[in-house]
Amino acid sequence: MKTAVRKQMTINPVVMDLLNNQIALEMEASASYLAMASWCDQRELLNSKEFFYKQAEEEREHAMKIFTFVNDNGGAALSPQIQNVNNDFESLRSIYEASLDQEINVTQSIFNIFKSARKEDDFVTEIFLQWFITEQAEEEDKFRSIIDIFDLMEGMPLKMIDERLPKE
Amino acid sequence: MNADVHVEKTIQLKEFTFCKYQLTTHTKVITLSFPQLLQLRKNVKELTRHHSLHQIIDADNFVLLFVADKQHLIYLDIPQLLFLNKEIESFFSSFKSVLI
Repeated sequence: MKTAVRKQMTINPVVMDLLNNQIALEMEASASYLAMASWCDQRELLNSKEFFYKQAEEEREHAMKIFTFVNDNGGAALSPQIQNVNNDFESLRSIYEASLDQEINVTQSIFNIFKSARKEDDFVTEIFLQWFITEQAEEEDKFRSIIDIFDLMEGMPLKMIDERLPKE
Repeated sequence: MNADVHVEKTIQLKEFTFCKYQLTTHTKVITLSFPQLLQLRKNVKELTRHHSLHQIIDADNFVLLFVADKQHLIYLDIPQLLFLNKEIESFFSSFKSVLI
């Protein structure tokens, strides 16, 4: 990377903008999981509520990881605005399906930043994002496995399905 | 073309020392630290988005922008705003060195 501000920043400015978008995306995911946790909590779906409370915390941790990375490398991390969080859900299964969609979006966004970092020769960000790529693969797998349980237990009472679901 | 030349004279951004930058408008000279420059870049980028520019044109056709941790307020019309965006981006965009 050769820019006039290279002495001040280790990361590429274009990549920094994308990382700030990613912070917003992770925080949106966190807020969304919190809404899902609340829906489950109100319906006494104990395993699912615990799972989504933990997911909300985990997404926030991801955002914070990127946040500190941007600042530590001379950039400016931006605290995002979170709007339009959906609190209405039709079923537990639809919540897990929406979660998988959300995780896929997050993964795609990480891939885009990775590609951009590679294009801009931003090696620091490229290495930093490797952890996120592995993490996202695990997250997607986790949700796919849960949706499989719904398929296997089709027709069973909701509370019974919830008892078979992981807490984290 | 003439308008561009006029704009160029009224707004200028340059590196002052290792970590200080100087923004010169037609009324004042503002010293910026690097984080303040990053903040200015963010604000100007947001204001020069297609949607924001339309809003500015439909409203007063100018913007008042806080600079350097709100210590200064600058007046910018659309050509000045676009020029400032280009000026800032020149600091942040990659360049290739040419050996002669």
